[in-house]
Amino acid sequence: MAVRIAATGLRAWLVQRASAIYMLLFIVFLLAHFTVDPPHSYPAWHAWMTSYGVRIITTVFFAALLAHAWVGLRDVVMDYVHATALRVCVLALLGFSLAATGVWMMRILWMARG
Amino acid sequence: MHFSIFRYNPERDKKPYMQDFHVDVAPTDRMLLEIILRIRDTQDDSLTIRKSCREGVCGSDGININGRNGLACVTRVRELREPVVLRPLPSFPVIRDLVVDMTRFWKQYDSIKPYLVNDELPPEKERLQSPAERDKLDGSYECIMCGCCTSQCPSSWWNPKRFVGPAGLIQAYRFISDSRDRATRERLEDLNSDPYRLFRCRTIMNCTEVCPVGLSPSRAIERIRLRMLDVQGHDGGLALHRVPTIR
Repeated sequence: MAVRIAATGLRAWLVQRASAIYMLLFIVFLLAHFTVDPPHSYPAWHAWMTSYGVRIITTVFFAALLAHAWVGLRDVVMDYVHATALRVCVLALLGFSLAATGVWMMRILWMARG
Repeated sequence: MHFSIFRYNPERDKKPYMQDFHVDVAPTDRMLLEIILRIRDTQDDSLTIRKSCREGVCGSDGININGRNGLACVTRVRELREPVVLRPLPSFPVIRDLVVDMTRFWKQYDSIKPYLVNDELPPEKERLQSPAERDKLDGSYECIMCGCCTSQCPSSWWNPKRFVGPAGLIQAYRFISDSRDRATRERLEDLNSDPYRLFRCRTIMNCTEVCPVGLSPSRAIERIRLRMLDVQGHDGGLALHRVPTIR
């Protein structure tokens, strides 16, 4: 008898699709902004980047990026790494790296001096 | 023409090897299977291949031709690049020469319940469908189960025991889209119950690329995923989480 914890594939698939759509929209928004109304100096760019709205949508972008990367990398591990112990180690390492990247990103975005 | 054919007889050979054959191909020769049978009849009668109808209907003679899966009986021999390298279907256990063991393939097919599930009282004649309902089966019912797609699918290579594979999934879609079937939700729940059964598909599309009948298992898989989103019931849609289960 063994305890088995399983998430369904549908959730991961949805997360990957939804995050991809958000990232696409965000990139289009960035390109449009820098084309239509480009900041002309570093302070102007910095002020735009540290405004509340931009910080929030950028945070969501990085959350989507990390979720997207997690699903993709987890899929690679599920495909190729079959030994349970090794899989747990690799997934833990991946999870830690992505979480650390997330914390680093939050530090840069929210603790930058405005 | 120069042919290089995979040979392996487990009773005689320690390991597989490639054997060269030279055949004069006449302008009247059309399909690859005719040439393979001629090699067997005139040069080496131990050369083994599975075949039956010889016209692309039974799906018996699926092999790997110059790196690409296909049916020998509908592959035009004169269009092939030389040397023509013939191997058994990749990733399937070899029984002998070009003949593979398809037991696992049929087990996956069986797992999707490839039959109509309908407990309602049968009508006096057949269960009727409108032309529009019948049209929904087009593009999936034509599958001849030759195994060319599943054998060429990397997701099937890595997880053959748990991933149903493109051939099984296009058959699953054939029953999911059948208006006479009453087990749509159960079928979708089954494919969602294990993240390996359907969701190992990474849309690589080798299946669609090699299908000798011109079907698109990849599109069928995408449609199954979209159907999963549509499912509504008294307890909502399909499960996104599964609680730990004791087995």
